[in-house]
Amino acid sequence: MSGSHSQLAKKAKYKTTIKDPGTPGMLRMTLEKFMFTPQNPKSANKVDMEFRFIKGQKHTKEDPTKEKPPPALLNLTDRQGGSYIFQFDNFSDLQHCRDFVGKVLSKSGEVSERPTVTCADEQLSTAEMELRMKLLQEDSELQKLHRQFVIGGILTEAEFWATRKKLLDREASKKAKQRVGFKSAMLSDIKGSSDGRTNKVTFSLTPEIILQIFAEKPAVHRAFLSFVPNKMSEKDFWTKYFKAEVLHSTKNAVAVAAEAAEDEDLAVFLKRDVILENEARRKIRRVDPTVDMEADEGDDYTHLPDHGIVREGSKEVTESQQELYRRNLSQDINRHAAVVLEGRAVDVELEDTRAIAEALSRSKQVNGESDKDSNQEKLDRISRMTEIEDLHNSHDLPLAPLCIKDPRDYFDSQQANALRSSGDLLPGNEQIKCNLSTHEAYGSLRDSISAIKRGGLKDPIVKPEIAFQVFDALTHSISTTKYNIGRNPQESILDTLPKKTKEELLHHWTSIIELLRHFWSSYPLTTTYLYNKVSKLKDAMSQIYRQLEDIKGTVQADFRHQVSLLVRPMHQVRTFNSSLSKEKDAMVKG
Amino acid sequence: MKFQIEDVTVYFPYDHIYPEQYSYMIELKRALDAKGHCLLEMPTGTGKTIALLSLITSYSLFKPESPIKLIYCTRTVHEMEKTLAELKLLHKYQKEHLGAQARILAIGLSSRKNLCVNPRVVAAENRDSVDAACRKLTASWVRAMAAENPNVPTCEYFEDYERAGGEALLPPGVYTLQDLRAFGREKGWCPYFLARRMVQFANVIVYSYQYLLDPKVAGIISKELPKESVVVFDEAHNIDNVCIEALSVSVRRQTLEGATRNLNRISQEIDRFKATDAGRLRAEYNRLIEGLALRGNLPTTDIWLANPALPDDILKEAVPGNIRRAEHFLHVLRRLVQYLRGRLETENVEKESPVGFLVSINNHAGIDQKTLKFCYDRLHSLMLTLEITDTDEFLHIQTICDFATLIGTYARGFSIIIEPFDERMPHIPDPVLQLCCHDASLAIKPVFDRFQSVVITSGTLSPIDLYPRLLNFHPVVSRSFTMSLTRDCICPMVLTRGSDQLPVSTKFDMRSDPGVVRNYGKLLLELVSVVPDGIVCFFVSYSYMDGIINAWNDHGILKDIMQHKLVFIETQDVVETTLALDNYRRACDCGRGAVFFSVARGKVAEGIDFDRHYGRLVIMFGVPFQYTLSKILLARLEYLRDNFQIKEGDFLTFDALRQAAQCVGRVIRSKADYGMMIFADKRYIFPNSFSITLTSKILNSLIKG
Repeated sequence: MSGSHSQLAKKAKYKTTIKDPGTPGMLRMTLEKFMFTPQNPKSANKVDMEFRFIKGQKHTKEDPTKEKPPPALLNLTDRQGGSYIFQFDNFSDLQHCRDFVGKVLSKSGEVSERPTVTCADEQLSTAEMELRMKLLQEDSELQKLHRQFVIGGILTEAEFWATRKKLLDREASKKAKQRVGFKSAMLSDIKGSSDGRTNKVTFSLTPEIILQIFAEKPAVHRAFLSFVPNKMSEKDFWTKYFKAEVLHSTKNAVAVAAEAAEDEDLAVFLKRDVILENEARRKIRRVDPTVDMEADEGDDYTHLPDHGIVREGSKEVTESQQELYRRNLSQDINRHAAVVLEGRAVDVELEDTRAIAEALSRSKQVNGESDKDSNQEKLDRISRMTEIEDLHNSHDLPLAPLCIKDPRDYFDSQQANALRSSGDLLPGNEQIKCNLSTHEAYGSLRDSISAIKRGGLKDPIVKPEIAFQVFDALTHSISTTKYNIGRNPQESILDTLPKKTKEELLHHWTSIIELLRHFWSSYPLTTTYLYNKVSKLKDAMSQIYRQLEDIKGTVQADFRHQVSLLVRPMHQVRTFNSSLSKEKDAMVKG
Repeated sequence: MKFQIEDVTVYFPYDHIYPEQYSYMIELKRALDAKGHCLLEMPTGTGKTIALLSLITSYSLFKPESPIKLIYCTRTVHEMEKTLAELKLLHKYQKEHLGAQARILAIGLSSRKNLCVNPRVVAAENRDSVDAACRKLTASWVRAMAAENPNVPTCEYFEDYERAGGEALLPPGVYTLQDLRAFGREKGWCPYFLARRMVQFANVIVYSYQYLLDPKVAGIISKELPKESVVVFDEAHNIDNVCIEALSVSVRRQTLEGATRNLNRISQEIDRFKATDAGRLRAEYNRLIEGLALRGNLPTTDIWLANPALPDDILKEAVPGNIRRAEHFLHVLRRLVQYLRGRLETENVEKESPVGFLVSINNHAGIDQKTLKFCYDRLHSLMLTLEITDTDEFLHIQTICDFATLIGTYARGFSIIIEPFDERMPHIPDPVLQLCCHDASLAIKPVFDRFQSVVITSGTLSPIDLYPRLLNFHPVVSRSFTMSLTRDCICPMVLTRGSDQLPVSTKFDMRSDPGVVRNYGKLLLELVSVVPDGIVCFFVSYSYMDGIINAWNDHGILKDIMQHKLVFIETQDVVETTLALDNYRRACDCGRGAVFFSVARGKVAEGIDFDRHYGRLVIMFGVPFQYTLSKILLARLEYLRDNFQIKEGDFLTFDALRQAAQCVGRVIRSKADYGMMIFADKRYIFPNSFSITLTSKILNSLIKG
């Protein structure tokens, strides 16, 4: 980290409680500690605290929609539960401090337990480092593994992270793409506040609201671009806009029309939105054909004007003059929902209204270009909708790809196999006679061959009941395990073990998986580096196996059997490994 | 799969078949064998369409010596496209098994608006302006002019199509509207006229109801279809309404004003022709003396909407002498418009029979019945003579002539109702003169008479014995099938009280009660917070929906709903509603979830599916009874009672039932689907008045489908 980042000083007020008005002064932060010096040197509220005692931080959030911003507060809590509250003049100061503390805290968390994070052989950017630290902090299991292997010297930092590229990528991409959408609430919620005495109503606008107004009402957007600041000031513009809104809320089309006739600029806001209508006409061509009611209209001869029966609702009694100024809530709601669905194309960190307006029109141009409809997709969609799925034979059998996310699941299901192999057969399997003498088997085979010779192949060759029985016997353990896990997870053997043993076992399990992952990724052993790595890994594994044995020894007698069952698959892996690696060794050497 | 039904081998494009589909096919085959009409009810989600298509095409393949033509009528264009997509699937399967023998030609037919590929024409806003824009480029006199003057614009697609002549044919296959357009673009032929011509060669034609039921359209498109055709009306539960609408006309002030403008324009045109080309008008006069109003074979491009009266009722005789001359005809029309204007200036609601109205016209305007009857054809002839291409400007006078022809033709089954204002808005004067048809059997009669088999089918046709009475026909097969369900994929519920234990209803005296509005809002709010994906809400009318949305907005309920789901609303603007629906689907696709507010009897309730995640819950707020104070409805009820012995209450209940069942049925489109249905009205359960049957019927039909 560069020098400029190693310390920081901001003006702030120190508060002992939230209600406390606070002592003004200076807050300094270094990598090790933070200090507060009050302006008034006599004040007793001095603070000098090392970061390693600090557990975490809380802060207030900026809410641009609120008229009065909340105070910018930062609250640092120490490990004893005490807290240090600082109020900043503005949110950018708060942000700086927050980021700084965040960095220091994440670092100190690592620092206290681990001397080096970076490895000599790789140059990491700070962002990457932070990401890794964050991941470690979020996932205690990962942190344990990291501590055990990287710090224990079995794996290098790079090796450890190389198998977790996905995790890193995902985190990184998440950051880049997440973008806040529009609020679901309608804009009509901005109600003006009147002071009660005069006839004046005050509206307050934030960039957020302005962007939403522009997005939902392209006419206002265009008017802003053409009127401000040449023709009128921004304030006048919005005054006119809200005047129009208030007029509309009276729902009196005649009055609206009259007002619009008097004021040409105001009329822009009062008229129906022509841009929207054009846009609608353009969009209608790309609409899903299964909902295209416009095409019906074009086909429907009873809807010639004045033909058919006038039904409730289909009648519109308005003079065309006033029609221009009529607007209803349904349209607004539809428009709002469409804009929310489209999502936000512009990031609002812009303070300036003009900048927002321009950014929005730029993003619209881009959208306009990417406007290509594909007939093929339409057709595919229709045929997909028409087909009756359940009348088809299913072409591909429903298979779930194997994916062991949580080792615990795998662990639990293994335990049933272990039970079975130990001869502890479940009831239901016992009826099947498993042992046949060679004679009997041979005789049975001969019988069936001669039966086929006589009668030819029967259809079906194997009686369904028998097939079912065999299948059932073979899959019994799988289904019962599933049953056990699915129905009452608390009854799994793992959970009957003492908590400490369970955790240890689980930890060893994840460790072995981690090591195995590296172990197998090293093959073929083409370099001495890999060879060394593998042997290191093997040592580490055998250590774990020893620990497993220890666990077996330490648990109480009634659990011992179960633990050994649990441990067995891990051992099996080991024996398999060691035999295999020996072969490989030989190959490399040979 | 391939199987036998009696002697016919049926090719069915799936590996399995639902038992109800199989029995449906058996009944259908009986009707075809008997060459009679049939009425079949089978719940949605059981694959009616594919069962129909595969049986009828297989039947046709089985009897290659007398192939039957299938005329498949859908309510909407997207249903047309879906039907053709299913047919494609079937056709592919049949070709695999039978090879070239299975080849068929199937086309969808729609208006120019949906088929035109000429960018200059199709850019026009609505159907009528597209029609007019096309006519401006393709009318016979325009083309004649263009032959002399190369600066006169024509349509290159149409010209190429004409040049290809008899060569311009569609190869066998199944063509959706999309395919037709693509084919037209590729060959450079006009798809609209190509499709129109291919109607006579096609084995399967899929088009909208009106192409058969509305005499104005049927007269030009469905005139030459052979008797050996099977006509299918799918989703036909509202067919009676389509029939009466096809023969109903209304006249307003704006219509009369527009008609007057049209007459002035026609008068100018007549003067112009008199000055420049008096021969043309004289030629027309001579033709009219000779007999028919129209020249025998018009070029297809000149054809207009046909006579609004049914083919059997059109007189095949010479146009009466008093309107043969253009000026005289114009005078008659002016007097008619004047008379109608006088009638609109009424203070009270008036109801009259066509006979009384005719007498009145004769006394006050001096126009007799026969003259009225020929109005439409005479106008058509005049407009052709005057070479008017911008027909979309002349819709008003056309409406007046439609009205005159209908009223001159039919003495029974109609009534004329004049209302000075809308009942619900008495302060706004808006006079309407409505000629309304009450007898659905009139419009459909020619169809039953002309074609050997007519199949009327839908998911909800109960009570199934009512339709033969309404439509006045005798089905040889009338069956109702139930859906076999292997699991409970629907969950119907009736809600009678709100969370505060007060009853909820849209009954007239309760619907504006703030307690009911609030309870409905709370119900929806609770449901949006727990139901995933899409929710559809149906209200009883647009005005009620507007009222309730405004109330919810004022109480902040709407805002709370938006916290959970996006809200989309059906409006009376079709474009807006279509976009809202499209957005709704996208919101459901991306997992955001949304609520769609819609209206029973609206366009969405009629034709849009909310299957799968597009609708996991449907709420029916209230019972969708028709507006019972409507004069038109009352007149129809009276007619039904007097002529068909159908009680008013029964008809209203039946009508509300089919609407409600249609609305909630939107969420289930196949057996693999599932959804919840809530009927929120105390009348669905209270044993008062006529509702006890309603609930049991809906629930029954739900358990069926």
